[in-house]
Amino acid sequence: MDNSKNYWTGLDELDKTEAYQEGLENEFPAQQKVDEFLADDRLKETNTGRRDFLKFMGFSLAAATLAACETPVVKSVPYVVKPEEITPGVPNYYASTYYDGHDYGSVMVKTREGRPIFIKGNKYHGHQAGALNARITGSVIDLYDSSRLKGPVAAGQAATWDAVDAAVASGLSSARNVVVLSASVASPTTQRAINAFATKYNAKHVQYDAVSYSGISEANRRSFGSAMVPTYDFSKAKTIVSIGADFLANWLNSNLYAPQYGMTRRPEGEWMSRHFQFETTMSLTGTNADTRVMINPSDEGKVAAALYELVSGSGSGKVDGVSEMALQNAANALKATKGASLVVAGSNNPDVQEIVNAINQSLGSYGSTIDTSKPLNMFKGDDKAMTQLVRDMKGGQVDALIVYGVNPSYSWYAAEEFNEGLAKVKTSVSFSGKADETAARCGFICPDSHYLESWNDLSLTEGRVDLVQPAITPLFDTRQAQETLLKWAGVESDYYTFLRSTYNASYDMSMMYTDSDWNAAVHNGYMMAAATPVAEATVVEDASAEAPAASNLSAAINAVKKISGGSMQLAIYQKTAIGNGAHASNPYAQELPDPVTKVTWDNYVTMARSDMEAMGLNIYIAQLDHASLVKVTAGGREVVLPAYMQPGQKPGTIGIALGYGRGANGENIGRAAFQTAENGDHLTDENGALVPVGKNVFPMATMMGGYPVLANMDVSVEAMGEEYPLASTQMHHTYMGRESVVKETTLGAFLAEKDKKKGYASWNRMHALNVHEDTNNDGEINASDKKSTREFDLWHDHAVENVGHRWGMTIDLSSCIGCGDCVTACHIENNVPVVGKDEVRRHRDMHWLRIDRFYSSDYTMERGEEEGLGAISTYRKMEDPAENPQTVHMPMMCQHCNHAPCETVCPVAATTHSNEGLNQMTYNRCIGTRYCANNCPYKVRRFNWFNYMGYDKFKNVNPAQDMLTRMVLNPDVTVRARGVMEKCSMCVQRIQAGKLEAKKASAPVQDGAIQTACAESCSVNAIHFGDLNDQGSNVKKISENNRSYHALEEIGVQPNIYYMAKVRNIEDQEA
Amino acid sequence: MQKEAAIREPLILGDKSYKDITDDVVGPIEGPAPRTWKLLITIAGLVAFYGVGCILYLIGTGIGVWGLNKTVGWAWDITNFVWWVGIGHAGTLISAVLLLFRQKWRMAINRSAEAMTIFAVIMAAIFPGIHMGRIWCAYWVFPLPNQFGSLWVNFNSPLLWDVFAISTYFSVSLVFWYIGLIPDFATIRDRMVKPLPKKIYGILAFGWSGRAKNWTRFEEVSLVLAGIATPLVFSVHSIVSMDFATSVIPGWHTTIFPPYFVSGAVFSGFAMVQTLLLIMRKAMNLENYIHVRHVEYMNIVIIVTGSIVGVAYLTELFISWYSGVEYESYAFINRFSGPYSWSYWIMMTCNVISPQLFWVKKWRRSLTFTFVLSIVVNIGMWFERYVIIVTSIHRDYNPSSWGEFHATSIDIGIFVGTIGIFSTLFLLFARFFPVLALNELKSILKSSGENFKKLHHTDNH
Repeated sequence: MDNSKNYWTGLDELDKTEAYQEGLENEFPAQQKVDEFLADDRLKETNTGRRDFLKFMGFSLAAATLAACETPVVKSVPYVVKPEEITPGVPNYYASTYYDGHDYGSVMVKTREGRPIFIKGNKYHGHQAGALNARITGSVIDLYDSSRLKGPVAAGQAATWDAVDAAVASGLSSARNVVVLSASVASPTTQRAINAFATKYNAKHVQYDAVSYSGISEANRRSFGSAMVPTYDFSKAKTIVSIGADFLANWLNSNLYAPQYGMTRRPEGEWMSRHFQFETTMSLTGTNADTRVMINPSDEGKVAAALYELVSGSGSGKVDGVSEMALQNAANALKATKGASLVVAGSNNPDVQEIVNAINQSLGSYGSTIDTSKPLNMFKGDDKAMTQLVRDMKGGQVDALIVYGVNPSYSWYAAEEFNEGLAKVKTSVSFSGKADETAARCGFICPDSHYLESWNDLSLTEGRVDLVQPAITPLFDTRQAQETLLKWAGVESDYYTFLRSTYNASYDMSMMYTDSDWNAAVHNGYMMAAATPVAEATVVEDASAEAPAASNLSAAINAVKKISGGSMQLAIYQKTAIGNGAHASNPYAQELPDPVTKVTWDNYVTMARSDMEAMGLNIYIAQLDHASLVKVTAGGREVVLPAYMQPGQKPGTIGIALGYGRGANGENIGRAAFQTAENGDHLTDENGALVPVGKNVFPMATMMGGYPVLANMDVSVEAMGEEYPLASTQMHHTYMGRESVVKETTLGAFLAEKDKKKGYASWNRMHALNVHEDTNNDGEINASDKKSTREFDLWHDHAVENVGHRWGMTIDLSSCIGCGDCVTACHIENNVPVVGKDEVRRHRDMHWLRIDRFYSSDYTMERGEEEGLGAISTYRKMEDPAENPQTVHMPMMCQHCNHAPCETVCPVAATTHSNEGLNQMTYNRCIGTRYCANNCPYKVRRFNWFNYMGYDKFKNVNPAQDMLTRMVLNPDVTVRARGVMEKCSMCVQRIQAGKLEAKKASAPVQDGAIQTACAESCSVNAIHFGDLNDQGSNVKKISENNRSYHALEEIGVQPNIYYMAKVRNIEDQEA
Repeated sequence: MQKEAAIREPLILGDKSYKDITDDVVGPIEGPAPRTWKLLITIAGLVAFYGVGCILYLIGTGIGVWGLNKTVGWAWDITNFVWWVGIGHAGTLISAVLLLFRQKWRMAINRSAEAMTIFAVIMAAIFPGIHMGRIWCAYWVFPLPNQFGSLWVNFNSPLLWDVFAISTYFSVSLVFWYIGLIPDFATIRDRMVKPLPKKIYGILAFGWSGRAKNWTRFEEVSLVLAGIATPLVFSVHSIVSMDFATSVIPGWHTTIFPPYFVSGAVFSGFAMVQTLLLIMRKAMNLENYIHVRHVEYMNIVIIVTGSIVGVAYLTELFISWYSGVEYESYAFINRFSGPYSWSYWIMMTCNVISPQLFWVKKWRRSLTFTFVLSIVVNIGMWFERYVIIVTSIHRDYNPSSWGEFHATSIDIGIFVGTIGIFSTLFLLFARFFPVLALNELKSILKSSGENFKKLHHTDNH
């Protein structure tokens, strides 16, 4: 067999040519010897000399180096040993509790890769299903505040813990009088720690609340013999009368009352509550009232007395200047729902509160809407003890003062006296996390850890303990205040062990992971336990209050009737975002438009239009129309603030918000607490000091019988003749009778047509157009032949009904109270830029979700016609809100139109419709023509005018420009570049995550499993999110309700967001 | 040869020969630059430089340096864009439409009108570019094959139609203008003695030899291009108007816009031609070529188009009332009585009332009056676009978002800057290019020249 098959590489090989033979032999040509090569004379003739060679080499090297350059690489190092619970990209949630002496809420902390980035309510185990407010939701950013102290401070210098401990210990050991001044302690174990400390040093414990409710405690002491603040239950109240209590935003546990109130505001329910509000300045609660009556601050007690007289039939029930009918109506409504009525008052005057107690007693509210058996562990502050303490300090009778969780140098009405006294205290210690007004004056600052770094227990009322657990190890060298106290008390235990021992006396570290009850409690965030803070009652001897006076109602009534007011009175109130000022450096809080005025980054004097006109002040405030400055003088104190026209402000009164003017002496409390100039630098005054945002009006409170009342009955206001820019997100305040934007009706009208099909009730009629065909089959074509606007369409429909998901939302205008928690939640969840006052003034706020607040106007087109006014004058008059208007809050965000006008106009198709009904923005593709924003009927698109995360103008306001604060950014959401459009995405990152979960579980997405940030944060359940194609879903059901409508339905853009008409519980003639 | 009735006013005044025409037009190019020209171009150049600086600042910092906000997303940018595009229309109308209608008087003005068109379109094109948030991605508006994935432009978007409309318009106008220039460049080339300019004009003249064949082809091409350009006069501004007409915003969503915009464009274009030519004839001693007869004709166009515009304004008002649509009627009530009513009344005064003054023969033949009025009309037409854009969106559907617009120094700087760039270009044109279509003018010298008319007159009688 011939297997010697030959393959040639070519004909050369076959032919064995000469050249081939030669090549074969020289396959590896002999190398030329180096010396031979160098000796070659011809080399000298070549052009490339040695120097040239070096030049070439140098160039090549440089070129190669340059070509290798690229943007710096930031390496993400993966875990070498991965913690069991942390998977990069997957968030963890930890139940915890928020309490700062002002707000109390059960929270779930969302952490990503170990860092907390979002706070939401603890829906399953929290108080009121984890109802929060904007202050609590926004509190996550305080953790990353770069003005937090990085370690202990002694005499203004950074120190070590050992040094500070030693110095404080020596100070304490030589002190005769030691006082612990704290906020109301709601933590049983903290109280134990304080007690341990107090025992060792024989210290006194004084509790103090920045905004005091001691008047309520005192009134209850007089009425019931026990000084406490009871538990209120608004969900049972069929008639609510509030006399100056802003119980939806600030009064006591407002965030827990809001959901209770929300439950009573659904017209479909068995009953709907009727809400009367008697107040001076328009508060958030007042905007939600069915009937709102304007009163002077000096008349609060008189109104209470009149109501008492009317309810009990003991008097005429008249107050000068207050509508008799309104009082009568309120009293009648209260009486009609006896046993399910509730009267609350905001005043800190115990006389007023005593009368309110009497009204509630005669209405049988105790036991139903008020529960005195469950006193709150909050708001135990004792103003008289505080006054005494200041007196002692000034008298040099306090050797050591420990300030914990309060800031009296800012919030005590007589802060100068406190400061004077503080200077005389030999050893003064503050536990503040920042060098705030008080801490900066203390000898030592032993910074407390942030609540997200701490262990604690809290008890709102007896019988239940909520737990605080750390979501991150302390970022700085801080130490929990309780641990510091224990250390100084000589208790050899860390605070965690000490905390565990409160509930298990025999606890030791070996049981750390084995106690399943405890672990379950930590997991859920609470446990049912009887431990309550044992506050040692420190009764301060005061001549005026030696014996608990028996309830003397007539004395109280006489006392309040004697309160008289001057020609101008001041009501001091709190704003929803800023509260008592603890969050002054929180840029989210500063940028959250006040739910009532829509003004950001300032406090101001709210005034009635008539007063402003009389003084010649600017009423219209917009981009270049600045507010007039006025000087308010009250009790010898002056503040100069801009005046803001507030509809619903009682003429002859003004209102100023607390919580501003923080850091007035340049204390380092955070960059966002100070005003910035147009170029982004902080403003400075003539002395070069930073200028705080707003002015502090705590000192303007009036002391009435030892109780600071947030009002001043005689003030003077004078125009300064100067102007000051205010930044408001809304310049226009009425809805101009545009009923397709806002639909509202009265309860009577609603009930009359309750069962009508959607689109047919008079208060929610569908938009229809006349057509030239017999649509109603009456045999002829006439004016009654109409077709719904939905049926007129130029579009090729992409199938949306019942194909896959169609994400949608419903918003109930009846239950929405406008609190703004959703705005803050959206702000944080979606990394929405904070832009600062100057940009807001230029109408460039970036909020994806805003709450439109509309006031009613006295004028309608019909009234204009009746009065013979032309269209022009009628429209002008319709622009002006009524003197005491009704209000609508309307959350507004991208409506995710199925026929979106923005999508057609984008030249590069950067905004498109997803097959799940979302209108989606592709930031990468956007070139920023802004055509989409112009063509949006709802004006919800937001343009990145600048590079917010880099441009100097925003360095002091934008969290993304602070290396620490930017840790709060949500890694799931792109931080948008300059020049692109952005808008509500319906939290598409959450939708994707939820779908993924469902896919892993091989089950359809469950209704409610995916929640947008706004829907999740809404404590009154006004916002629902879900799949409109899921026939059983909540949103589908609500969208079919006869109250639901599309905003601006007639444009035919077919949104995926449904609103539900607002129903007011008022008589038709009042509407 | 064509004859013209002797009683018609002559188009070329004075005792001009063919050589005189050449001298009058080419002379300024050959001679040294006059001092006035140097002064003017220095001023224009400085203004242009400032404008470019403002543009660079805008691009470097962000659109936020303008006064726009969340409610008013367009203001001066698109106003300027539409204004400049509109101005461009006169050039095309004069050179294309009047050519097709064999209007001989166009010959004195078409060259500079076309130059104005080109420069105005360049100015217009600046704005859609710089108004983008990310101008570095501007090329995405072209349907270019790309590797970004299956990314394509959105053919539904009127902005994309603009891209096509403007780029077509610019290219056709440029070619048309250049074709017309070729014989004149050749004339300059032939007279030039300095080698470099001779070389440059030689290249520009494209090998023109002046043979009959050249002339035939020249005329054929001119006619063909005029045929192509004529529909563009109508399409470009119609498409620009669709930016507004196809939207849902009350005050924009109007079917009347295309014809209304086109007549407005011609109206403003002629006004701009008047402004420029009245200066140029004085500065370059062209009084014999551009004179009262030309001005009067253009003023008549201004009356006609101005009246169309006026009727359109009134129609809009009527329809807004007649439609019974709440938003529509409010939008127009707000236009004439709201916060920006001052701009509406400026617009009405400048655009509706002022052109009617031209019904008075004495006034429409007065050069000073025409000059003043031409500027008034241009101000009015700028405000027309401002009114349409700003007053419509500053108060649209949802009153909570009603806002205001206040121009910043950068808004103003860029607009003034484009006027500077435009003037610079036009001054360069006037210095180096034949400002009259001299070879075309020669063709009417014997029929419409003043002296020849007199000669004919004496011959015939």
